[in-house]
Amino acid sequence: MDKLSRQTETGSERAARYGTLSLFWIFALVSIYPMIWLTLSSFKSSSEMFGNSWALPQRWRWENYVAAWDYGVSQYLISSVIVTVASTAIIVILASAAAYALVALKLRGRAFLYMAILGGSILPPEVSLLPLFRTVTALGIYNTYWALIVPYVAFGLPFTTFLIRAYMVKIPLELAEAAEMDGAGPFWTFWNVYLPLSRPILASAALISAMRVWNEFIFALTFVESESVKTITIGMMSFANALRGDWAVMMAGMVISVLPIFVVFLVLQRQFIGGLTQGAVK
Amino acid sequence: MKAQTMRRIAPYLFLFPSLLLLISFVYAPALENMVYSLFSWSSVRIESRFVGLDNYRELFASQIFWRALVNNALYAVISIVFQVFFALVIAAVLVAGVFGPLLRNFFRTAFFLPSILPVTVVGLLWQLIYQPTIGLIDQLLFATGLQSLSHVWLGEEATVMMSVIMVSQWQWTGYMIVLFMVAIQAIPSDLYEALRMEGASRIQQFFYITVPGVRESTLILAIITIFGAFKVFDIIWVMTAGGPNNASEVLGTHMYRSAFRNDVSGYAAAVATVIFFITLAVGAVQIRLQRQD
Repeated sequence: MDKLSRQTETGSERAARYGTLSLFWIFALVSIYPMIWLTLSSFKSSSEMFGNSWALPQRWRWENYVAAWDYGVSQYLISSVIVTVASTAIIVILASAAAYALVALKLRGRAFLYMAILGGSILPPEVSLLPLFRTVTALGIYNTYWALIVPYVAFGLPFTTFLIRAYMVKIPLELAEAAEMDGAGPFWTFWNVYLPLSRPILASAALISAMRVWNEFIFALTFVESESVKTITIGMMSFANALRGDWAVMMAGMVISVLPIFVVFLVLQRQFIGGLTQGAVK
Repeated sequence: MKAQTMRRIAPYLFLFPSLLLLISFVYAPALENMVYSLFSWSSVRIESRFVGLDNYRELFASQIFWRALVNNALYAVISIVFQVFFALVIAAVLVAGVFGPLLRNFFRTAFFLPSILPVTVVGLLWQLIYQPTIGLIDQLLFATGLQSLSHVWLGEEATVMMSVIMVSQWQWTGYMIVLFMVAIQAIPSDLYEALRMEGASRIQQFFYITVPGVRESTLILAIITIFGAFKVFDIIWVMTAGGPNNASEVLGTHMYRSAFRNDVSGYAAAVATVIFFITLAVGAVQIRLQRQD
């Protein structure tokens, strides 16, 4: 707000501004207090957690974290990291290859092929869940990391291709044509021209894919069952069921499961929000 | 000669892996699902029996199905109110410069943060917050003398669905605020300047410039919200699994329980097909809108 308008502010305008401000503080509090409460409670004892909900912990019980870690959270984290890294890498490679072909190469039925990829984004996982369950079993990958990675890649491709394509469209076609004149093949141009130029969107795309895979729920619930393969979203459910009553340790586990995303988000907030808003997809 | 052939087929090589994966793991299963819905089968019995539309007849006669559908619709309506209308107003206030840049960024981040949490964490966290008597909500009510409003939030049929829906609003409204902020920032600022010269108030500026300016984005975001409301599964599965007494059942949980708990897979496939047609209708509109850019 510029100085001029602030000086000419009338009494009722000022009242409106302070009213708005207090309202926003209340919203912000509602938004973040549950997370603060989660963090504080994870350092308390279970009786203290409910008996003394609003206070700081009497003693910071790091042992809750040790207990949660040893109780299985570490294994879930490892699974989540493996599945997320593998899925994200494959999604970004395949999606950028597809986007490149759609943008820069001579294709018959380009619009149809693009729709064939984009159309996947309107199919909710529930619709394919039952047959996919049988496919995964038939392929012999049920209860392995592949049972998650393969469907994650398939379901992640439409949105990621959309995102990368929208960026590659803006790269001048003359670059590809010039490379072709010099005798470069499509693979060379893809690798040495298009990929390097698309680096910003690849970062956003990877970030968003990773986030979606990390948080994915229904496939992780259905396609694996051993504790050693469960990712953290589902692992937390068994963890919580096993720990009913030991709330504080459970909350320490929850904090651990949030921490990696939280750190990544804080560091890469701009790329993250940039990618999300370009795609406008949850 | 060989290079020529290579050049001709290369484009398809780039697309092949993506298309293959999409066909085998997204499209084919969706079609298979429709076929399944015409059979009566389960994982224990090997043979399946063609039953035509029987599963659908059973479905449309089931009270749980209709309850689930109504719950999905309720979920959609409340989500539109919070994640579209409310989010638009909040975003407009943030962009309008009512607060300084520091405070604005703080609010934005604070509102956005819940959306990065895994749904399991959100669900478990709110289960604790909703705990009768000892949870944060009841503690607040008791502290302010409003204990008559206290409920077993997730245990009573009357309150359970709204309680879960509100958790979703808590998680996603801030996310939508950020998307709306970007849309509003794309509106040329001289439009506002011109109206301000004529002495228009902030509220008038909102209705005459912001609302028409973000019309298209609003449409897309509304569609995404409705889409999400009809495929919702995870938050409900974590918090209530559809209970008590199917009071918080949605199509997704109804399908999942039918398939993997009650082992009536043909029936579950019929539920999934209904989800398919609802989201197909919504999604077709979305793709049409997105193709315009």
